[in-house]
Amino acid sequence: MKHSLETNGIEHQLWLSRCRGGYRLSLGDKVITSVAFAHEGDGSGVLSIEGESLPVRFLIDRDIIHINIGGTTRVIRYVEPLRARSCAFAQTNHLVVRAPMPGIVVATKVSPGQLVYTGTPLMVMEGMKLETIIRSQREGVVERIHFKEGENFERDAVLVSLSEGVS
Amino acid sequence: MQRIISLADVKSEDFRLNAAHNRALVAELKERQRAARFNRPERDLERLRRQNKMFVRDRVEALLDPETPFLELSTLAANKAYDGEVPGAAQVTGIGIVAGREVIVHADDGSVKGGAWYPLSVKKIVRALDIAIENRLPVVHLCDCAGGYLPLQAEFFADRYYAGRIFRNQSILSKMGVPQVAIAMGHCTAGGAYVPALSDYNIIVQGTGAIFLGGPPVVKAATGEIVSAEELGGADMHTSVSGTGDYFASSEMHAIAIARDVIARLHRPSKTSIDLAASEPPAYNASELYGIIPRDARVQFDMREIIARLVDGSRFHEYQPRYGQSLVCGFARLHGYQIGILANNGVPVSDSSLKGAHFIQLCDKNRTPLLFLQNITGFMVGREYERGGITKDGAKLIMAVSGASVPKFTVVCNGSHGAGTYAMAGRAFDPRFMFTWPQSQTSAMGAVQAAGVLTHVKARQLARKGGRLSERELESIRASILEEYLDRSSAYYASSEIWDDGILDPADTRNALAIALSASLNAPIETPRYGVFRM
Amino acid sequence: MAPPKRSRKTGADSHEIVWMTSVCANYPFDTILIANRGEIAVRIIKTLRKLGLRSAIVYHEIDAGTPAVAMADTAIAIDGRTPIAAYLDITQIIAAAHKANAGAVHPGYGFLSENAAFAKSVVAAALTFIGPAPESIELMGDKIRARNFVQRNGFPVVPSAIEEDDPATFLYRARAMGAPLLVKTSGGGGGKGMQIVSDLGRLEDAIAQAHSEGQRYFGDGRLYVERYIENPRHIEVQVLGDCFGNVVHLFERECSVQRRFQKIIEEAPSPALSPEMRKRICEAAVGIALAGRYRNAGTVEFIFDGAQFYFLEMNTRLQVEHPVTEMITGIDLVAEQIRLAAGHALGFTQPDVVPNGHAIEARLYAEAPKRGYAPTTGKATVLEYPGGNGVRIDSGILRGQQITTAFDPMLAKIIVHSSTRLEAALKAYRAMRELVLLGCETNASFLMRILAGEAFLSGDIHTGYLEQNPHLAAGDADLSSFLATAALLTREIRESADAVPELHAAVGSWRN
Repeated sequence: MKHSLETNGIEHQLWLSRCRGGYRLSLGDKVITSVAFAHEGDGSGVLSIEGESLPVRFLIDRDIIHINIGGTTRVIRYVEPLRARSCAFAQTNHLVVRAPMPGIVVATKVSPGQLVYTGTPLMVMEGMKLETIIRSQREGVVERIHFKEGENFERDAVLVSLSEGVS
Repeated sequence: MQRIISLADVKSEDFRLNAAHNRALVAELKERQRAARFNRPERDLERLRRQNKMFVRDRVEALLDPETPFLELSTLAANKAYDGEVPGAAQVTGIGIVAGREVIVHADDGSVKGGAWYPLSVKKIVRALDIAIENRLPVVHLCDCAGGYLPLQAEFFADRYYAGRIFRNQSILSKMGVPQVAIAMGHCTAGGAYVPALSDYNIIVQGTGAIFLGGPPVVKAATGEIVSAEELGGADMHTSVSGTGDYFASSEMHAIAIARDVIARLHRPSKTSIDLAASEPPAYNASELYGIIPRDARVQFDMREIIARLVDGSRFHEYQPRYGQSLVCGFARLHGYQIGILANNGVPVSDSSLKGAHFIQLCDKNRTPLLFLQNITGFMVGREYERGGITKDGAKLIMAVSGASVPKFTVVCNGSHGAGTYAMAGRAFDPRFMFTWPQSQTSAMGAVQAAGVLTHVKARQLARKGGRLSERELESIRASILEEYLDRSSAYYASSEIWDDGILDPADTRNALAIALSASLNAPIETPRYGVFRM
Repeated sequence: MAPPKRSRKTGADSHEIVWMTSVCANYPFDTILIANRGEIAVRIIKTLRKLGLRSAIVYHEIDAGTPAVAMADTAIAIDGRTPIAAYLDITQIIAAAHKANAGAVHPGYGFLSENAAFAKSVVAAALTFIGPAPESIELMGDKIRARNFVQRNGFPVVPSAIEEDDPATFLYRARAMGAPLLVKTSGGGGGKGMQIVSDLGRLEDAIAQAHSEGQRYFGDGRLYVERYIENPRHIEVQVLGDCFGNVVHLFERECSVQRRFQKIIEEAPSPALSPEMRKRICEAAVGIALAGRYRNAGTVEFIFDGAQFYFLEMNTRLQVEHPVTEMITGIDLVAEQIRLAAGHALGFTQPDVVPNGHAIEARLYAEAPKRGYAPTTGKATVLEYPGGNGVRIDSGILRGQQITTAFDPMLAKIIVHSSTRLEAALKAYRAMRELVLLGCETNASFLMRILAGEAFLSGDIHTGYLEQNPHLAAGDADLSSFLATAALLTREIRESADAVPELHAAVGSWRN
């Protein structure tokens, strides 16, 4: 089972193996024959990748690593395999609608107990100067609305929970 | 250590013809292995999909550390049994790396007869667990077995090495402190229920995994009670009520992730330390083995040419190079590990037996594992040899082979016949691992001589009843006897019956032996101790 | 009043700015309250210090740890239903000004800076409003009135249809102009309430949505529709006016690199203008300001289609991008605002303003261009700004500061000055490369890609440039170096590699 790193919503499957003088990195169907990292004090170091040396600044915040190479910063998250596997299950079964970006609730369009269908507007949010309508991805009954109008939320926050509708 | 200078003429017609012949044999082996692994009736695969189950090969791949080797054992078990309908004996076993630990993987193949245990399935599982015991390897069981195949129960239920041995071996492993992790990915019914129950850790997959002594139909027949599998022995019940299960998994991949996490917690045993140097590839290419192994099994060849393509740097320290030359003995390294090699280079006689017995004791004292490369027709017979004590010298070799406490590994490179099979660490002598090459033959006597003997016997029986056979009749009898005999001496038959741990592409031998060697060092090596050598 | 000092260094590589503004003016106040936050508050405090004036600031609790609050001589907490609401609360701010014994209020940009009612309240509270007269704010704040005013005074505006002229025929008149059209709300600005309609079938929907947005954001649902000029350049002219009727311009800025109507890279001078066109556009700006008897700092925005410029709007406040003008003119705009608000005459005349070199500003935002510019949050745990000659950082954040979505996502502005445009672009690129901010995703590498792009380097840009080049936001496909670093720095990944015995690692994924 490979490890998984996520950045910008995309998971990358990879595996590191030891080899002479460092590591070999299997990345998707690509193999990078030699990678190594030399620490140089707190939060900085040099990445050697196939003979090239790149200065790196980094910050580790639990499962998230912020990496700056040549002025570009990427935020990469280690996908913890046990949590990811059990979450995959939880998400499909608990019918939650998550925030696509941080923002504020402009209006709620439904109330608990209401039957909704795929595409029913649940909430209007505002983030980045745009109004976004949060729609239901499936049929169900509104169980709970987690934020009131005017409240702020972060990306991936659960906005609305649904329960299985009566069929 | 000196490098072996190969005398093989890779440009010769002979080499080319051998290579073509052996490559065809290897291609056939690979195709048979592929079919045993992947050819399944569509309805069985459809059933797996319907049940939301992964194919056993995908389960094993997901379990293993990526970019690490998997030495699969007995891939072609049962290839000549049950009309070929139980490929791999419905089991996948092998040595792989999980969370950095060497483990034995034992997986029921639910795509073959619902993973039912056939007699050879039981034999294959028992063998895998024997390997675990001998080499102290943790075991991961991926359980998906509907139970034993009842019509053949007499061949797998009661005897010493039958199904009970699986559970006995599991218990012994636990007693030895060798952990086992089981994942119930399907129904583990009756005896099968004990596999997870006897494992130190187990995981049950919600929905598909279940553990019970009698499944819902049996319960209904016995007591009239109607109960669902999930309710009777599902993940939720066992992990929250009975305590039969340890971990609840929401999917097979989740279960595998848990198993990997459990194994990552296991104590990492310190291996037996033997002489180890940096690994070095052989100086000669392994693919040249195809041109060296003769296309005619009766043609003699120099085993040093084989050794040169197996060992580090093709370096070989030959012991007693001028004495007992029909047995080549010497030291070499394999992936850095020092080993002692005994390789047949002709018909063994007294001096080669004495040399072999002596060399084994040297290696045993020196903590050097032993590799036997078999190409043996059986000991020399005849008045002169008996007077020279060939039987008692052969007995010395057998005594040394049996008594050696260092790990032994056997590869049947070509012929393996008669007492030579025994003296060169055949299956009965508990080599830790035993592999065959595709063209090899294993039998009590060479095929042609045996066919002659058997034809003669048959003719005599007929003669006693007053019958008389024409030369043509005799020839046809001889041909049919030879055909059957050859079939039963073949590597495929040996592997079908699990006399070996699998047939190897000769070019894979080095890696297979390295993995086996590394695995063997998980068990301590006892102090050398022998029986009485007849002097 | 001392004459302005033209003491700018002229050495080719030395771009240290020496302000030409006199600092010894008399002010009728000694403390100025800043009704703002973030980088602009810091920026204003710096000038106040230089002028020997005291600074007071209002702040919402969420900003307690920001540098502006730390730097101000007095900081007074205010609150509100939301943090933004606090900064829009006129009553609390006036009260705070009194409490701090402030004699003047600087509104910065955004928030109450273009709120005429606020300006009036400030004046009514016997305080000096550092900005134009409330009437100017009112005139220019009403986009429709402003447009009519400018047109009446003989300056070019884009053809348009105004709803309130005759609501019944509005749709008909708008449609008659032909696509593409731009639907705007009367009170809009900064990209809010603007929509491009290229398919006339969508016009009605767009108008309905603009009504709602205008109502919600500005409490004003009035609309107008104008001819959409495709791929125009955004050029604006900085003006300064005193209460004696003098107006000068400080040349133009070009702000054509925009994402969703939001400027992200600005420069001065514009690479698109010939000297003749520059003269015309700057004179037009001065003319508009004179016509409006404008005093204090203001910006007249135009769109330019390569041949003709049209009045867009006038911003009656300090602009975010004002530093590029400061860099090329050596004039401290905040100091000038204060002088002018204090009732002084302009200290220099048009010929005194001589541009020097080229300045570029890049706005560092807490946002993910790749995910549709979604705002990001985090903590600026590592924050290192570039330095060196001709590099100016206007930052509103400190190392370790929490970055929230409570306000605009702009974190800082990186401004560079060099003798030529190409050198300035390279310097800006180098500065962005040196900048390290870890803990919160930013648009830094996006800015680098724009700065290093062929189109930007050749000056071939327009307001639709980023939309037409989505690869700039998408970024590099090759993540190998980042993923390799992350893998090597992730304990689980490294440990599982180290756990594999050497032999098995060497054999690799072999199968028999």
